[in-house]
Amino acid sequence: MRQPPEQKCFCSQAAAFPHILFAVTFVEKIPFGGKMNLSRHRLANGLTLLMLVDRSAPVVSYQTWFRVGSRHEKKGKTGLAHLFEHLMFNETQSLAAGEFDRLLETAGGETNAATWVDWTYYYENLPRNELPLVTRLEADRMSHLVLREKQLKSEKEVVANERRYRVDDDVEGAVNEKLYSIAFKKHPYHWPTIGWMKDIEGFTTADCRAFYKTYYAPNNACVVLVGDIDEKKAVALIEKSYGKLKSSKIPTEPKVKEPTQTAERKLVMKQATPTEKLQLGYRGPRFSDYDYAVLTVANEILVGGRSSRLYRTLVSEREIAAEVRASMSPFRDEGLYEIWASAREGYRAKDSLVAIERELSRIAKDGVSQGELEKAKNRLELGFLQGMETASGKAEQIGFYETVLGDPSRIFSRLEDYRRVSDADIRRVAKLVFNKKHRTTITVVPSGEASAEPDEGDDE
Amino acid sequence: MKDERFTTPKGSLVLVEASDELPMVDFEVTLRTGSTFDPKGKEGLARLTARMVRMGTKKMRALAVEESIDALGASLGIETAPSYTRLSGAVIKRNFARFMALLSHLLREPAFRAVDLAQAKRETLSDLIENRDNDRGLAAREFRRTVFGDHAYARSVVGTQASIKRITRNNLLSHFATHYRAPNMIFGFAGDITLAEAKAVVDLEFGKIPRGVVPKEKTPEPKPLRGRRVVIVDKPARSQTQVFIGGLGTNPRDSDHVALAVANTVFGGTFTSRLMREVRSVRGWSYGASSRLGSDRKREAFYMWTFPAATDAVACVALELDLLETLLKKGITKKELRFAQNYLANSNAFEIDTPIKRLDQRVDIELYNLPRDYFSKHIEQVRAVSLTAANRALKKRLSAKNLAIVLLATASEVKDGLAALPGVARVDIVPFDRD
Repeated sequence: MRQPPEQKCFCSQAAAFPHILFAVTFVEKIPFGGKMNLSRHRLANGLTLLMLVDRSAPVVSYQTWFRVGSRHEKKGKTGLAHLFEHLMFNETQSLAAGEFDRLLETAGGETNAATWVDWTYYYENLPRNELPLVTRLEADRMSHLVLREKQLKSEKEVVANERRYRVDDDVEGAVNEKLYSIAFKKHPYHWPTIGWMKDIEGFTTADCRAFYKTYYAPNNACVVLVGDIDEKKAVALIEKSYGKLKSSKIPTEPKVKEPTQTAERKLVMKQATPTEKLQLGYRGPRFSDYDYAVLTVANEILVGGRSSRLYRTLVSEREIAAEVRASMSPFRDEGLYEIWASAREGYRAKDSLVAIERELSRIAKDGVSQGELEKAKNRLELGFLQGMETASGKAEQIGFYETVLGDPSRIFSRLEDYRRVSDADIRRVAKLVFNKKHRTTITVVPSGEASAEPDEGDDE
Repeated sequence: MKDERFTTPKGSLVLVEASDELPMVDFEVTLRTGSTFDPKGKEGLARLTARMVRMGTKKMRALAVEESIDALGASLGIETAPSYTRLSGAVIKRNFARFMALLSHLLREPAFRAVDLAQAKRETLSDLIENRDNDRGLAAREFRRTVFGDHAYARSVVGTQASIKRITRNNLLSHFATHYRAPNMIFGFAGDITLAEAKAVVDLEFGKIPRGVVPKEKTPEPKPLRGRRVVIVDKPARSQTQVFIGGLGTNPRDSDHVALAVANTVFGGTFTSRLMREVRSVRGWSYGASSRLGSDRKREAFYMWTFPAATDAVACVALELDLLETLLKKGITKKELRFAQNYLANSNAFEIDTPIKRLDQRVDIELYNLPRDYFSKHIEQVRAVSLTAANRALKKRLSAKNLAIVLLATASEVKDGLAALPGVARVDIVPFDRD
């Protein structure tokens, strides 16, 4: 990710703004659980600041969420948002390559980033007294990144290796990539966030500069600050460091509606694996929909814990699968409810498929018991609490809800949604989602056992 | 920081880390013994026994146990390591008392039904087959075999196909009767619980766990290997390799352990370390590149981990060997030492930022027989490391000549290149699906 240093001088970005000159508007206080309040500020250049004072540990989590992900890419240029995330750790006009990390590490900080379909975010976890440092560094790289051919070449290699690690040599990674590429024909969720290998190899510095100029601007970002902080001082620091950055004209995103799937899509893949695997993807609701909460509760009943319906049937009682997992993709637009099962030796993926279909039909037809509902809600409550243990956990929830839904208070209303999910809700959503016509099915067979790759076509 | 603790009349140690930030409680029941007690040929016994603890009591069948855990909004995990066995998890506060009653029931009256044991064995055998998809795990397992040879640390905690089949119900009963004894248990609670509440729940629920004399661990110190031993775990169609290179390190009670940890931070402990810079930043050969020092009662492993493309693997191994040789020959610099000290001292805040992390440190002190102030004095100890001490620890503890070099790869693509590396007399190839 880094290149040898070329520039030696580190000029403080904050030092360039000796006076507070730029307006920050306080927007609102948002109740955060019973004890805390989240405050929202906005800078004149469009930067959103969300702050939560949390004195449970002498640390601060600093996150910058950009409203750009792989959905904003184009065919032939897939993986650019993710590659760019790597490049953001390189040189800036005032920092040599490697200095960004070195300064943060010296301060005892941890830094990393993540990219997915709808967003990219960067985080730093630091001791509380290092807020001025991280504010200065993040503001600097938002507008003063230096992109050179040499750095790009090396980083493309790193990303190619990451792709081999996560996809090419990983059975589940390879299958999941295939699932989305088959399930989505028109929507950008069709391509993988890491990008196709050929596209990764083809990026130029011009591609990267154009991407940076377009999407990395204060009006496309939200800074989330959680920890043992003084709010007034933090606002002043943010204003001083970011106030002068220019906003950008963010392109209007074309609305792409994925056509309704009207027939099952199927594929058989060969992989170097000892047993057969099954991957299913049902078209499911958007993260913002109430039905997403309903499906989350249904998911707990199906695969949450060893007493869940699918685990009990496939793994414990019939012993036809070594594992079964499922989840709904938390996307802005409609995503997939994914189910993954790994067959036990001597069993076929088909056996798992039959058993899964039976359980999905049962939940849609007969619904669930009050005991199952309560169990699912208790489990979700524990998961929610565990996500709130650290400053970085809270910051991640705030940044995610703000970026995907535009409203961090939904963190708590989502918990309320879970609590009000009823048996009738589950039946209704199960009928809607667990429809074979809206499904993509991938069967994995160990190398040497399958006679053909593609199995069936699709509906269009 | 308060050190809230007490010992029960039967000899269990109880540690409490109270915090009312969130209405939940993390708990741990840690046995001071782990897989080093597995008899030869019956590897996996300690883990299987722990697994069977949650598979039913005389009054409850396995499914009823799982229903109860899930219904209470609790999680229960089981972990076995060479030196300990742990049942741990979390529960929402309002269900804490009911969950402790269930846990107590599991620990006091496991049924070890033959039918459940047969199922747990099938499950473990299936897990072993599933693990063949985990390239990193396969390489790591072979690395430990190569570094530790016939020492207990080389043996698989999960066991092998052959060893799992050999384990009998009597083995389990005997292991349970010997090790699941009050003096061998450390109870830990972290989160929304007071010392008084912990005392009440331990008295009520765990007071009946019997005393007993638990055998002392007699694991010897592992012996360093000689020469450079290359092993390829051969798996077809790999575009990428998994590479582990290393040997013995230290144990946390060694006087130079902290000095070595500081030096290792320079070498491969951070994103800007030498290893990361040379392998990833400059050459782009591997997405990750790091070095680590393991911790246990005896000397654990030191290793470098990278995962380069098959085409870069031999060059990457050669580079790593060069970097290690240079490190041991020239040592780290004063500037690097200062950096590592600042990093370790300043980042210590994240070792203790949640109640469960603080509890884990206190349990480690007990497990590894460390001084009570081991972690609270950590920053002081890090700051006290001199350049001479750091470089002396490197020279004394690590070796570039005596190394295990283990790759998971398609052997035909890397074998000749590895055989030509300096100091390599032989390259062994083992199949990825061997037991």
